[in-house]
Amino acid sequence: MKRVLVIDDAATVRMYHRSILEAAGYSVEEAVNGMEGLEKALQTPFDIYVVDVNMPQMDGYGFMKRLRAAEVPQAPAIIVSTEAAAHDEALAYQAGANAYLIKPVKPETLLTGIRLLLGESVT
Amino acid sequence: MSEPTVITEAEFQKFREYFYRKTGISFDDSKRYFVDRRLADRIKATKSDDFRSYFMLLRFQSSGEECQLLTNEMTVNETYFFREDHHFDCLVHSILPAIVKHKKDSVPIRIWCMPSSSGEEPYSVAMTLLERWPGIHDWDVEIIASDIDTGILNKARIGIFSERSIRNVPPHLLRKYFTKVGHDYQICEDLRNAVEFTRANLAEPLDTRNYRQFDVVFCRNLLIYFDDISRRTAAETFFNALNPGGFILLGHSESMSRISSIFNVRRFPESIVYQKPTIIP
Amino acid sequence: MALKRSHIAEVQPELPVQPPHSLPELKAQLASSEAELRRTAILELSKHPDSTALLTAHLKEEPSAIVRETIFTALARLGDATAIASLADCLRTEDANLRNGAIEALKLLPEQTARIIPNLLADQNSDVRILTISILESLRHPKVESWLIEVLEKDPHLNVCGSALDLMVEVGSEMSKKAIEGIKLRFQNEPYIQFTADLALKRINKA
Repeated sequence: MKRVLVIDDAATVRMYHRSILEAAGYSVEEAVNGMEGLEKALQTPFDIYVVDVNMPQMDGYGFMKRLRAAEVPQAPAIIVSTEAAAHDEALAYQAGANAYLIKPVKPETLLTGIRLLLGESVT
Repeated sequence: MSEPTVITEAEFQKFREYFYRKTGISFDDSKRYFVDRRLADRIKATKSDDFRSYFMLLRFQSSGEECQLLTNEMTVNETYFFREDHHFDCLVHSILPAIVKHKKDSVPIRIWCMPSSSGEEPYSVAMTLLERWPGIHDWDVEIIASDIDTGILNKARIGIFSERSIRNVPPHLLRKYFTKVGHDYQICEDLRNAVEFTRANLAEPLDTRNYRQFDVVFCRNLLIYFDDISRRTAAETFFNALNPGGFILLGHSESMSRISSIFNVRRFPESIVYQKPTIIP
Repeated sequence: MALKRSHIAEVQPELPVQPPHSLPELKAQLASSEAELRRTAILELSKHPDSTALLTAHLKEEPSAIVRETIFTALARLGDATAIASLADCLRTEDANLRNGAIEALKLLPEQTARIIPNLLADQNSDVRILTISILESLRHPKVESWLIEVLEKDPHLNVCGSALDLMVEVGSEMSKKAIEGIKLRFQNEPYIQFTADLALKRINKA
């Protein structure tokens, strides 16, 4: 079972993503900000990360940069943001993310993104 | 006699999410009884009508006092020798090697235990260094242990411990470093003399201004009982107290992720620790 | 080589504390090129009731993220109207560090922050409104629920309402039901809104 780490400071967003992902057969863990996410990623690396941008203590970009610099097995990461500007999307890729989605995310969009990045069948 | 308060599943979820957000501590379903009992106790103690009104108190009380009290109840706060022993493993296998690798002087390695409490932790550090760290033959180490409570500092200096407190001390260490005193055990004079016990209030930054140039800080199961401002102040104090590259260890249910981002997260095989950056950003 | 006893000069409570540095002295110290010195100056300034303006002015110039954090903590300890205003100002900045630092500091000052919440919730910038809701998340104040109801009823922006709804799950009571049902109707095609509104209603109904 593939393991997903969902990082978002809003409890309901984490629950919402969890419900989508668990229904599709993924195992989900949560973190409330980039720092907690980093601690969890360092303990047991995940297969894929779904990361909010705006979080206290350490935001999504902070998490991405440190994850990519850490000596742990790397995995794809989807950044989820309220910002629709191209500039913000560029920042996400620069920080090391593989995909950029605008929130709130529709279930099909999230699942398609995950499956593509994990090399799974999209249908 | 009134009916014991029943906490519903929905109420447990609500409380669980709130507590996780605030403290990072996550209760799974197996902890229902543990949590429910303590919530019921606090509901009664605060004379709240029900969970809902208690939760409002918890959530909105501007002093945050009930939140502190509840946290006290929800966390196990007993001290004993070699508590969370993976930290001591981490010290000798990962932290000290990292420190000596970059050490360019022969100034003693300095370790700060805050709080000292009754001394179990600093004495555990001392025994660990003497018994398990080969580097003790090459480096001087200073252990300073501080507490706000002068009574407990005196107790720590005297160094007499109960059966309960020494239960995780391996028999050969018990024989080597302790003498039996009635039903209790006193730690040997050499170790009592090896630790410097001082009074300090961590929440008061001007109190701790002389605490500098530490390589390792142990601050386990203290910050969880602080309010948000004091936690941040404490994090800053430790930052100032450490050498660049120095390490700090928190308790197993604590995380800098709820406090401050000034430290880097480091993962060692034995534990997650936090490190002061070598270059200050 | 071995365990060596150390001696730390304790700050004795009975002895008189060193006379505090004057404001001009501390101001000069704030300009030091050494982060450590700037940090100590700030710690001392946090005890001077007149230092808010000084700290506020310095905040935007301070290059070190760590020293900035010390300033935020100092402002939170001071907590006067000037401190609050300058913290609120930081919500508009592009600098995420400044924004987050300000939010954390405001969360620590419920009474004072409450006074500016209505203005912030009416800000033109939807990002500021979202950030304000994140302050409400940790704000200990009896008006939180009514402010959220107003957002759900009047705010046009999807993500602002989403943030308010998220917090409603924790603080929502009977009096919020109508507003929550209203938001469900308004954003019928948004699965996240439906999911979260249903959760909030479920929690309210079960209580």
